[in-house]
Amino acid sequence: MLVQDIRYALRSLLRAPGFTVVALITLALGIGGTTAIFSIVDGVLLRPLPYSDPGRILRINRIGANGGLDSFSAADYRDLKKAATSFAAIAGYRSDIVDMTGRGEPVRINGMQTTAAFFDVFDAAPLLGRTYHEATDKPGANLAVINETVWKQQFGSNPAVIGTQVRLNGTPTEIIGVVPEFLRHPQKSDVWMLSPYDIPTSPFGMGDIDGSRDVHYFNVVARIARGRPLIEGQQQLKSIGDQIARDHQGNAGSTFGGEPLASSMVANVRTAMFVLLGAVGFVLLIACANVAGLLIARGAARRRELAVRTALGAGRGRLMRQLLTESVVLALVGGAPGMLVATWTQQLLISLAPENLPRLADVTLDWRIAFFAVVATIVVGILFGITPALQSSRPELNADLKDGGRTGTARTGLRNVMVVAQVALALVLLIGAGLMLTSFSRLRSVDPGFRVTEVVTVELMLPLARFNDEQQRNFYMSVLDRLQANPVTANSAMLFPFPFGGANAQASLDVIGQPDRPPEQQVSAELNSISPGYLKASGIRLLRGRDFDANDGPKSPAAALISESAIKEFGGKDPIGQQLDMGDPITIVGIVSDARRRSLDAEPRPALYLPYTQFVLPYMGVVVRSDRGAAAVASAVKTAVAQIDPDLPIGDVKTMEQIIEESTGEPRFRSFLIASFAVLALLLAAVGVYGVISFTVTQRVPEIGVRLALGASPRQVFTQVIGQGLKLAATGVVLGLVAAAAATTLVRGLLFNTSATDPVVYGSLAALLLAMAALACYVPARRAMRVDPMTALRSE
Amino acid sequence: MNASAQPLIRLDGIKKVFYTDEVETHALAGIHLEIQQGEYVAIAGPSGCGKSTLLAILGLLDTATEGTYLLNGNQVAKLSLSERARVRNREIGFIFQSFNLIGDLTVFENVELPLIYRGMKAAERRERANAALERVGMAHRAKHLPSQLSGGQQQRVAVARAVAGQPSILLADEPTGNLDSKNGEAVMELLRELHRGGATICMVTHDPRYAAHADRGVHLFDGRVVEENVGTAV
Amino acid sequence: MIRLQNIEKSYRHGLSQTFVLRRVNAEIKQGDFVSIMGPSGAGKSTLLHILGMHDSAWTGEYWLHDDPIHQLSAKDRMRLQKQHIGFVFQSYHLLDNLTVYENIDLPLSYRDVKKAEREGMVADILDRFNIVGKKDLFPNQLSGGQQQLVAIARAVVAKPSLILADEPTGNLHSDQGKEIMELFRRLNDAGTTIVQVTHSKENASYGKRVINLKDGWIVDEN
Repeated sequence: MLVQDIRYALRSLLRAPGFTVVALITLALGIGGTTAIFSIVDGVLLRPLPYSDPGRILRINRIGANGGLDSFSAADYRDLKKAATSFAAIAGYRSDIVDMTGRGEPVRINGMQTTAAFFDVFDAAPLLGRTYHEATDKPGANLAVINETVWKQQFGSNPAVIGTQVRLNGTPTEIIGVVPEFLRHPQKSDVWMLSPYDIPTSPFGMGDIDGSRDVHYFNVVARIARGRPLIEGQQQLKSIGDQIARDHQGNAGSTFGGEPLASSMVANVRTAMFVLLGAVGFVLLIACANVAGLLIARGAARRRELAVRTALGAGRGRLMRQLLTESVVLALVGGAPGMLVATWTQQLLISLAPENLPRLADVTLDWRIAFFAVVATIVVGILFGITPALQSSRPELNADLKDGGRTGTARTGLRNVMVVAQVALALVLLIGAGLMLTSFSRLRSVDPGFRVTEVVTVELMLPLARFNDEQQRNFYMSVLDRLQANPVTANSAMLFPFPFGGANAQASLDVIGQPDRPPEQQVSAELNSISPGYLKASGIRLLRGRDFDANDGPKSPAAALISESAIKEFGGKDPIGQQLDMGDPITIVGIVSDARRRSLDAEPRPALYLPYTQFVLPYMGVVVRSDRGAAAVASAVKTAVAQIDPDLPIGDVKTMEQIIEESTGEPRFRSFLIASFAVLALLLAAVGVYGVISFTVTQRVPEIGVRLALGASPRQVFTQVIGQGLKLAATGVVLGLVAAAAATTLVRGLLFNTSATDPVVYGSLAALLLAMAALACYVPARRAMRVDPMTALRSE
Repeated sequence: MNASAQPLIRLDGIKKVFYTDEVETHALAGIHLEIQQGEYVAIAGPSGCGKSTLLAILGLLDTATEGTYLLNGNQVAKLSLSERARVRNREIGFIFQSFNLIGDLTVFENVELPLIYRGMKAAERRERANAALERVGMAHRAKHLPSQLSGGQQQRVAVARAVAGQPSILLADEPTGNLDSKNGEAVMELLRELHRGGATICMVTHDPRYAAHADRGVHLFDGRVVEENVGTAV
Repeated sequence: MIRLQNIEKSYRHGLSQTFVLRRVNAEIKQGDFVSIMGPSGAGKSTLLHILGMHDSAWTGEYWLHDDPIHQLSAKDRMRLQKQHIGFVFQSYHLLDNLTVYENIDLPLSYRDVKKAEREGMVADILDRFNIVGKKDLFPNQLSGGQQQLVAIARAVVAKPSLILADEPTGNLHSDQGKEIMELFRRLNDAGTTIVQVTHSKENASYGKRVINLKDGWIVDEN
């Protein structure tokens, strides 16, 4: 009996191909799209980290007087560690590049130097060997743990790796364990090295840093002790931080805070992700409304069939079983392509996602959510699918038999509601997408203040273990000399940091001779280390004063350039010739034009440029102005570096265009996603409008017949049908505009230079939606035009 | 009646064939018929004899498979789709068995509808629609919806709608079919009154008593005219 | 077999009440062949649908065999309808999605008849009606007369004691109509009680007696 029901269900789907195709497309897009995007949101935002009790893992931040987050200094860390009692483990770590040697070819990998408690915080079981722990391993033991990938790629998955000695940045180190791939928090790392001290080593050398409170250079993670609530740990951090701020003048106004690691990792994309999740919800709602509308229409069209079946003795239960079977068959048949769409969409999304989207690697297709989407559509299918059976009450039967199911204004009403809702929801999504795209295009058209075209950058990081201050300076100076002697790279310069690279250095702007400012009014300036020729290579203009030159050597008087936006900090006096307090006094020798450093959407901040000979860091890179392309530049740099130090690989080579591209990856991805949803919503809404209008036309064939008999011209009928569709769409558009104005305040924070109520965006997208609606009405309207007026006479 | 005058309607050898997969059905098998200006003709016959098909062809709702149809001396077959709509609108008034009022429109709007299709100005439309409703005694229900009326009242509104545009001919398809005898009688009386006022009427019915109201009866059987007789009424 | 007492049915139109059936009393015996006649709008179809239990909004008493239909729940009515009644419609009402065979099988599937038994019953009917060759066709591949033949086959397959037919020849040509009426006569001869609504005196002549309705009243019975 069930087999027969299924057979009939399949056949009745086959015999109504229009309905079936529309329903299947809707289901596939709805289920597939929702599943794919929800899997991403789930992986990035919702799924807990893969450690025991992941909610107990905190990132500990030092919160500065101006509210900004800062890294830790050695002394603050030691005080914290001593005073904190609510924590089972606290660990400091610092990322570094690591040159692994001692086994043939030198290899450069990403590493992390941590204190002994790191694996007490991230308590993952090793695949092989062991991890180091505070209780068993003391600083200075020269131990390292490698991850699965490095083990496979560099050691051929050899289990004998445990106990092997390698040289990491020149230090002989024993590999004691291999950890699984999932250990990639707070960020991905290939190797973890136990620090020789109770703090990570500083890139500035350990001499005067050990015990300093002013040099902030590493990050801290912790695990709250079992049985202690999160809030208690957070309060304790704050009270310790406050105490240190009271005890030490340099810490005045600052404190500590703790945030669950999972949420701190995604803080920047959280809003965007929730907006996307909302968009997904909208699409699923639209899909459900669409399926519901289709089923209502089908139910109405089948009233005669149901009446006949009832007259032949089918009970209500029997009818419900049959309709139920059809709904479930439909949902299952739609669910299969839905899963396919989900898999494809997800692969597409991951390939399009910017690499810096946090936790992207945690994303897997989530079958629970797929299941949820399928069940949701089945439930909708059942609800609306069996309504006609429930409504087949007996007194109406006669009428249903007579008019063949032409009645049912109430259900047209319900279906209209579905269409209006779809149009409104689609418009909200469209407007959201329109705003994002507008914002994105405005972001991309921002002038960063430096040259973007024909500029190539090459990173030249130096392993600290091999290069002290003096060696660093000499290395960079000789590389630059060689590059400038080569015609391909004649116009080149050294720079730290690269724009939009994430690295930065800051200093507070204290003008000597001006009264001290209270901590919360202090202005910090972006610190840049540059070589002579940088202004020329990057297109930053010298407004007044002089540029650096070869005379600004390590021994000459300390000099600085300031950017235009720093002028206002000098109280109306000419900045040139004034001195800044940077430990030692530094004299300002010139003023240059502003440039954006952190991101395209951040206004330029006051910037301070120091000569690379006087402010040297092992993280510098080369900026080359050249029309010869990245490959030519890269090989020139490689040659120059190899001549000086054959063991030293060069770092990433990128054009400035690529850097800008990457810096806008997240908003681009987000805009792309929202736009895809909006297009999907637009299509679904168009299908919805088409469905309801087409259905109404079918239902009103007798009425249209009457109108034609009364002498309505086909054109008048056509206009009437289009008008009816547009009326529905217009209602939806009005509601959608109101809803969008309310909803888009949520995305205001994601918009750059774009009002959340931009009338151009609202107006043009409303018009687009109406145009789509008109298009969707066109086919049924043509059909209405061709109705045979004879049907009006065939009353029985 | 002046027999030499051009007849309002003239049918010559009208045939209508329906095809299904296996059979062809001759709904009309060669009809000859003339209707003069001001005449009241009843087409009678059992169910399935083709009378509704004939009426549909007369009303330009359907086309004949074969034969010629002259309306006011014009070849109907040559008209385009929109010209046919125009002729229906101006020359023909329909009255259906199941009233066929549009449920979403009020009584007044229903009556006004053919005038709107004609592109008439609002003031004139109002005047004509009101006059038509007045004529059938339904002016007081102008603002009601069809569902608020009884069947007899709905049919009176349908008659008002048919006459509002002052067509050359009224085509009535079993106008009393869905009514009880009292209401049916009233609608027949209304038609007779319109006829006395000069209207040309062609009515399909299978009820011989109503057929007797007409000047002339045309009997169809299996798609053929089997008998024509002059009625006793008038 | 059937006894009707004081059956009434009315609709409300705003303030006025329209009676479709008024104080209908009638008795129909086992093996009878009754034609309900009368002008359009007289209430013929309504009466038939009340007999067929498609309509439950009426007052009065309706006894079928010894069951008081007027007192029964919808479920019990359904059971009795399945047990006793087969219905034939003017416009056939075959399901377009089902083949001839499946259409005829449909009432049996609603009556929980075993599959093997069902196959036998359908095959038997197909034989009797001489439509074996058409069993795999869909309704739209048949002429009107053939569709009505299938519809009657469907109505009788479950061996009802009573067949209700609403203008069964209304959509048919006269010779097709005659065939259908002959079929009814044979069914009646075989013992099935038949009640038909018809306009046609000729059709009525196949029956044993006529109930004339006018404006909801029975005007004469013979």
